[in-house]
Amino acid sequence: MKITHLIAGMMLSLLTAVPAFAHHSAVMFDFQNTVITEGKVVEVRFANPHMHLVLEVTDAKGTRNIEFEGHSRNNMSRQGLTPNLFKVGDAIAIRIAPMRNGNDGGYVTAVRGPDGTEVGRVTAAD
Amino acid sequence: MKKISTAFASLAILSACQPAAQAPTAASEEAAVSASTIAEAMPTVPDFSGAWTTYRGAPAAAGAFSAPPGGPKLTAVAQAAVADYKSVTEGTDYSPGNACVGGGMPSSMLGSGGYPMEIIQRPDQLFVIYEAHSEMRRMFIDDKAQDPSQFFPERNGYSTAHWEGDRLIVDTVNLKTQVDSRYPHSAQATIHEEYYFDAPQPDGTPVLAADLTLTDPVWLEEPFTTTKRWQAMADYSVKSYECTEPKWLDDLIALYEAKGLTMVQE
Repeated sequence: MKITHLIAGMMLSLLTAVPAFAHHSAVMFDFQNTVITEGKVVEVRFANPHMHLVLEVTDAKGTRNIEFEGHSRNNMSRQGLTPNLFKVGDAIAIRIAPMRNGNDGGYVTAVRGPDGTEVGRVTAAD
Repeated sequence: MKKISTAFASLAILSACQPAAQAPTAASEEAAVSASTIAEAMPTVPDFSGAWTTYRGAPAAAGAFSAPPGGPKLTAVAQAAVADYKSVTEGTDYSPGNACVGGGMPSSMLGSGGYPMEIIQRPDQLFVIYEAHSEMRRMFIDDKAQDPSQFFPERNGYSTAHWEGDRLIVDTVNLKTQVDSRYPHSAQATIHEEYYFDAPQPDGTPVLAADLTLTDPVWLEEPFTTTKRWQAMADYSVKSYECTEPKWLDDLIALYEAKGLTMVQE
């Protein structure tokens, strides 16, 4: 199961990777926790210093659009991100450091595209 | 280890300036022979060109942290300035990086690695491109023609360099006062760096090191000294770092929307 890989990758990455730059205040994200979220891509912008992503998510609270930010375009590229990994409308999974206050949203550290390709690594905000 | 002969490079430039149609003579052939002899005899300097990432070596190297541990000891004036900066930015999204602004020296150099840096070395200049924020430094080697006091200060200052044996000695002036740096400093700060090849990794991967001293009579109680290491990335070149475009596009799209128009993007 792909999600297992996401978590296994996280354990390895935690041992080796520490960010050089913290562009974001980052205090709002709980990097000690990891949540896998699935949803449909509404909007995506792979950018520096942070990725911007909006997913349509359905869970116990209902269906809504949730905004995320995440690793930089450059660092995701280094992990294997290509422009074609996914597009608006695709169903994807993301691994996030959730919000400390329990609100929707989080910091994306890895993504799994519709074809199962996974890229990313778990570190604090970079 | 790669070496560049600065003497040879200078001679090549000189010979390129000679009249092209000059017929070879015994004298010019003799000169060519003696030139190559001189080139062989002249001392060579290390070539630091290439892409460099975070050093992952001995435990003493601060694990995978890009920047070495520790920081400068600030004076009361500096502490007050930094406290004010933190009071207006802490807990917010405001930071130089979020504004696509580079860290400036010495942060740009000490923080490089996770986002790699690339060095392009010429006899008269060392270019250092830090991938993060696309910051670039030029270190003018043996620069005698330019007077830094004629230039406006910048976050990365103005750097001149010279070789002492296998070490490139770099001195930086014309820095700006920076409260928003991991290494806060006043405009009076100066930075001294010495670049050299350290012992390679066991697999032969080259290791570049730099000793750095930040001196600031106004903001530092004492000079701050640290050593930074990188290791070569054999199969990687530094990427461009596009950061400012999204902000521009947001502004532009808002202008379109204000007029009831939709911008063509694809």
